[in-house]
Amino acid sequence: MATNPGYFIRETWSSFRRNWVMSLVAVSIIYIALLLVGTFFLMSSVVNEMASSFESKVTVSVFLKDDAVDTDVTALKAAIQGMPNVKSISYVTKDQALAIFKDRTKNSPQLVENLRNNPLPASIEVALVDPRQVQGVVDLIVKNPLTAKVVKTPATLGTAANSDIKYGQNVVTDLFKATGVVRVFAAGFLILLLGVSLVLIGNTIRLAIYSRRREIGIMRLVGASNWFIRTPFLLEGVLQSLIGSILAILTLVAAQALIVPWLKTNLKFLPVNIGGMTMAQLAGLLILSGVLIGLLGSGSAVRRYLKV
Amino acid sequence: MISMKGVSKVYVPDKPAALSEVDCEIAQGEFVFIVGHSGSGKSTFIRLLMRELLPTAGSISVAGQDVIHMKNRRIPYLRRAIGCVFQDFKLLPNKTAYENVAYALEVIGKSRHVIATQVPEVLRLVGLEDKTASYPDELSGGEQQRVSIARAFVNRPPLLLADEPTGNLDPATSLGIMSLLNRINKTGTTVLVATHDREMVDSMRKRVIALENGRIIRDQSRGVYGYGD
Repeated sequence: MATNPGYFIRETWSSFRRNWVMSLVAVSIIYIALLLVGTFFLMSSVVNEMASSFESKVTVSVFLKDDAVDTDVTALKAAIQGMPNVKSISYVTKDQALAIFKDRTKNSPQLVENLRNNPLPASIEVALVDPRQVQGVVDLIVKNPLTAKVVKTPATLGTAANSDIKYGQNVVTDLFKATGVVRVFAAGFLILLLGVSLVLIGNTIRLAIYSRRREIGIMRLVGASNWFIRTPFLLEGVLQSLIGSILAILTLVAAQALIVPWLKTNLKFLPVNIGGMTMAQLAGLLILSGVLIGLLGSGSAVRRYLKV
Repeated sequence: MISMKGVSKVYVPDKPAALSEVDCEIAQGEFVFIVGHSGSGKSTFIRLLMRELLPTAGSISVAGQDVIHMKNRRIPYLRRAIGCVFQDFKLLPNKTAYENVAYALEVIGKSRHVIATQVPEVLRLVGLEDKTASYPDELSGGEQQRVSIARAFVNRPPLLLADEPTGNLDPATSLGIMSLLNRINKTGTTVLVATHDREMVDSMRKRVIALENGRIIRDQSRGVYGYGD
């Protein structure tokens, strides 16, 4: 059977055009449904970013004795740098610590003016790869024999409150609990919304085909095979989904370009960030789910009327 | 061309059958009228041949194919050997007259070139050469019926079925359509026409199969409509 593939493309396009009312309805519903999904996807990715940025503020500070020997400090720095889950370390001298303190308290300068000498200790600041595993790094630092030489009170877990190794131990647990709940909620809601949207899109496409069920019966009676009837309907479903999802993506890209800079200037304390990677994922998600449901929706709807 | 043996069709159990124990043979190249009142089983007869319906009992063979034990995916091939003119035309509403006729050729995978030569030719045969770009709802009943005939005939099937082809038409148009069917029959196509158009049947003097309450009550060559009212 030498059916020209061009036939299906011509047939799909002319049917899309001639049933333009139903096509328009289908495209708008697909557009709105995917726009909702996409908006929520971006919002939850922003929330995720925020959670990550709060989490990454979890660091370990190792405060040093004023009389610590330089070689011991250097050796400890190297040892910490070599520990698993340590992203980077930085060394804050006594003078730097004072400068930071001065900067933080610049509204009440008398606090510093009254100091006779610098009471602040030098410290090693440890940034982590996975902030959730902070306890493991702390344990390793405490166990290291060099630590006892350079730190006044290298206390273990139970007596952490007056230890010279600080990592906000109580806050950390609560913070991770909170960000965990937020992440699970966002993912769950996104899946729910995606499911509802797909059902809605599938139904719209089915409705458009229902209005043409008589045509399908006629095609069968003049000897058209099932795949010959089905193919243009499938392509039409895909075309509608493709147009709807591309419109939704364009809208989201435009909205993102307008809103994110505004948020950045007006809500400086919130780390709002949408990367190109996130937008690419979003585009992939919308197009893929749209096209898939276009195929499934039209396929299952046509199937029902092919029984003549 | 057509062979029916002991064919019965019951739509609703415990109600009278639409067709009961029908036997008939129709040879290639014949022109046959099936006559009878409304509800006598004419349409059921045609729809069984198309395999739009399956009989309750009996065997049917059309163009050498066993219609009853046919696989679902073979049905389109049977229908391509049968041109069918429907009482309600069954034209595709979103296609022009030209495209409706062309569809029957696209279905069997003919090239655009073949379609572009055959479709205008057959539309000229039914006298619609200047209505090719009209949609069905822009055509009169008679014109739609002629598009339907053109579509049924364009791929030169060996068998042409027509269910009340003149049912909704005025006498002059009916005459034109009957002579068209006659001309198609002259090219060697077997033509089967279900009708209750008495004048038509009487003037054509073809083989007549008369149905009453689902049974064949008369089968004569060069027959008339019969049924004294």
